[in-house]
Amino acid sequence: MLYLKLFLQFFHVGVFSFGGGYATLPFLYDIAEKYHWYSAKQLTDMLALSSITPGPVGVNVATFAGYTTSGILGALIATTSIILPSFIIVTIVSKALDKFRTNKYVKAGISALKSAGCALLSAVGIKLLFTSNLHLFGTILLIALLIMSFIKKRDPLFYLGVSAVAGLVIGSLNWIGV
Amino acid sequence: MEKSWYSIFKTFFKVGTLLLGGGYVILPLLTSELVEKKKWITSEELCEYYALGASLPGIIAVNTAIFTGRKLLGTVGAFAATVGMVLPAFLAIVLLAAILSEIIANSYIQHIFWGVGIGVIVLLFLAVKEMWKKSVTDKFSMLVYGVCLLLALWGKIPLAVIIIGALFAGVFWQKIKDRRGGIK
Repeated sequence: MLYLKLFLQFFHVGVFSFGGGYATLPFLYDIAEKYHWYSAKQLTDMLALSSITPGPVGVNVATFAGYTTSGILGALIATTSIILPSFIIVTIVSKALDKFRTNKYVKAGISALKSAGCALLSAVGIKLLFTSNLHLFGTILLIALLIMSFIKKRDPLFYLGVSAVAGLVIGSLNWIGV
Repeated sequence: MEKSWYSIFKTFFKVGTLLLGGGYVILPLLTSELVEKKKWITSEELCEYYALGASLPGIIAVNTAIFTGRKLLGTVGAFAATVGMVLPAFLAIVLLAAILSEIIANSYIQHIFWGVGIGVIVLLFLAVKEMWKKSVTDKFSMLVYGVCLLLALWGKIPLAVIIIGALFAGVFWQKIKDRRGGIK
């Protein structure tokens, strides 16, 4: 019964969370209140952890909730059920798109969609910029990395690696007071 | 490189492993792996999948992976991409779940986390720059970009509504252009 409940709850999150990542949050807090599979505090911890573990937040939280309630099988069920709706919906949409791709109205719509996608990504970046505690050294690190990116195109891993090491060094020397 | 289910799985597993910071950096990572290194898809296609992925329900990074996988190798490709992308996240949490609270409290981890947050902002900025080049090409797309950005920053309107609104605006604009063309 628990497995079925896990499946239904996370399938529900997969169907109704528009906007990705943090859009799943209200649903996940709701589940915490209703089922006590994990506490709200654990969910908040999970969010912090998901920025240093691989993968999207939604997947991380689903895996965690499933695991704490009923072990590895629970983790598997919760993770699968949050993704399953995406799989079905994307399959339908891309089939429909392939059919109508040459239509000029569809083309115009998709082209506007791309601008909107770019705008949403910009908004995420701006919000992150204002919500992260950059301090002086963080700002310097940010600017240094940006300048490096202008000089030469580099692998994303480079930026993540450099910023992780810089964070460790700056933080350990207690320059930023975290 | 050949597009087998295994090579797709491997590529997405790598992207899934590097997907730090909660999934925002999916676009720069996929650009680096699929467009620049493997040359499996074009940057335009990837932008389209990302925008579509953001406008459908579910997790954006997962949606984008499914779209891309489908394009590469149909349903098998979509499945390989999804599993590859989600598996590192799954394994990491299962392995760390027991010591979750200790990890959060560790100050070294917090420093790394702070640093990676800055790296994520840089990657996002680069992704926006790349996407801008592919999408904002005329006055109309500039207008769409500006309006959507303001609405997204305002934060009162669900993102899916903004994106679907943009979609209709694009179709409507095409109709207006047609009508003008008809008069001439």
